[in-house]
Amino acid sequence: MNAIQTNQLTRSFGNLKAVDRLTLEVPRGTVFGFLGPNGSGKTTTIRLLLGLLDADEGSAQVLGFNTRTQSDEVRVRCGALLEQHGLYERLSAADNLDYYGRIWHMPKADREKRIRELLEPLDLYKRRGEPIGRWSRGMKQKLAVARTLMHHPELVFLDEPTAGLDPVASATLREDLVSLVAQEGVTIFLTTHNLAEAEKLCTQVGVIKHGKLLVVGSPADLRSRTSAPRLYITGQGITSQAVDRLHNHLLVKKLQQRNGELIIDLNDLTRSHEIVTQLVETGVKIDEVRKEKVDLEDVFLQLVEEEKRGEE
Amino acid sequence: MIADIFTVAGKELRELLTFGDARGRSKFSLLILILIFGIVIPLQNGREWVQSPINIMVWGWMPFLWVSGVVADLFAGERERHTLESLLATRLSDQSILFGKLLAALTYGFTLTWIIMLVSLLTINVGFRGAGLLLFPFEMTLGALVFSILVSGLSASIGVLVSLRAGSVRQAQQMMSAGMLVLFLPLMLMQFIPEGWRESIGNILVNVEPVQVAIGVALVLFVIESLLIAIAMRLFQRSKLILD
Repeated sequence: MNAIQTNQLTRSFGNLKAVDRLTLEVPRGTVFGFLGPNGSGKTTTIRLLLGLLDADEGSAQVLGFNTRTQSDEVRVRCGALLEQHGLYERLSAADNLDYYGRIWHMPKADREKRIRELLEPLDLYKRRGEPIGRWSRGMKQKLAVARTLMHHPELVFLDEPTAGLDPVASATLREDLVSLVAQEGVTIFLTTHNLAEAEKLCTQVGVIKHGKLLVVGSPADLRSRTSAPRLYITGQGITSQAVDRLHNHLLVKKLQQRNGELIIDLNDLTRSHEIVTQLVETGVKIDEVRKEKVDLEDVFLQLVEEEKRGEE
Repeated sequence: MIADIFTVAGKELRELLTFGDARGRSKFSLLILILIFGIVIPLQNGREWVQSPINIMVWGWMPFLWVSGVVADLFAGERERHTLESLLATRLSDQSILFGKLLAALTYGFTLTWIIMLVSLLTINVGFRGAGLLLFPFEMTLGALVFSILVSGLSASIGVLVSLRAGSVRQAQQMMSAGMLVLFLPLMLMQFIPEGWRESIGNILVNVEPVQVAIGVALVLFVIESLLIAIAMRLFQRSKLILD
């Protein structure tokens, strides 16, 4: 059984379709990344799946429960870290977790054990008695992740968990998430616009824009969908004539210049020597040639661009 | 649901009683209230304090002010501090959240009143030692206990209603202040009532037993509170609160 299954799920705010006929399946036990730019409908989707908002059309089943008619059952079995961490800053870390443990009717001994179990791997257990108002954003975000897992949920929604964190705090939280996910074995529905994060954490990803689901698959699947292998060339004497000549080359699908580096999407990476030869013939002194597969960010940008062209 | 109501109320009271916010401001606000109403005013009034008519206002009306000082924070504060959506995403029912918050405000009001009553009694007995123990008259004690609950309830239900609608704590506090003026409006309008009417009302009140007046007022308060809570229950909609 799927953890999440939606069918033509639609929600509008006035004339704006925040979620547009979303049909999606998230198998149990996966870490599903829901990617999209700001305002693409990610948060609204989570709110619909938690039964916090009603859909205008379509339906959704979460853990086998209808989100419209059985939203209480959905919320009993899910944990959610929404856009804001939602912690009570006047209370201590332990009190914050204890409150959520009480909400889920956990006995006192279980709550205490669980607080230790969750906070120790995050290096927060020793500071559990402190009011969290003065904690850093990264620490609060870690605590908020722990809070979503407090009651052993079957499915966890994480809405941009690393948003607003500095790179070090983001990386730490990502590592903590990976270990917690492995430890807890829950299904995760994670929204993000950080592609590196999705690539690192997710087994499946879906890309959404303007409320429409553009594509779903594993990060590797998505990468393979964009056929273009990529060549990075740095050197001296890369003139405009040299670039113009490359533009006309049959192998070149797309060409960009970034920080003095040529980035060339090719139709066939095995014939990359032809590009190098041509550049040398036009007088370019090549320092470095690097072949790479496109990353998820390129896939994402390409999909978004295609969708934009489709709209036009 | 009862357990959930107590869970929510317990958290609210814990936040109230952690003495101030994360920055440690207003740490002693509760102690100041106890100092003024439990020690300073009784000492100024002397032994007569236990019989003083001021008591009726203190025990009957002050809980309204005390509760109104904290109740604006209940929903508007949660919304302002971005904790409301996380709470709404839990398994708690709408009623549990609403009644839990109401219970917290109500408990705060009448408990504070009872503590201050007790402290004032101790103050009088320690400060003006004489023959025998000084106690409030039985009727006053009973009235104070009952009306502190009812008046706290009135303030809590108005406050919850206001807090549900307000966009921020400041707005909720402003609306509460305006609401209090409305409550005083009947007293202010008394002077515009024709002399003859006033005399008639006065005659009726003179002939009515104080106990009957008290029961009547208590019933009116109860009905008003029930209506306000019913309205709050209708207004409490997860989807609306999320989008607000």
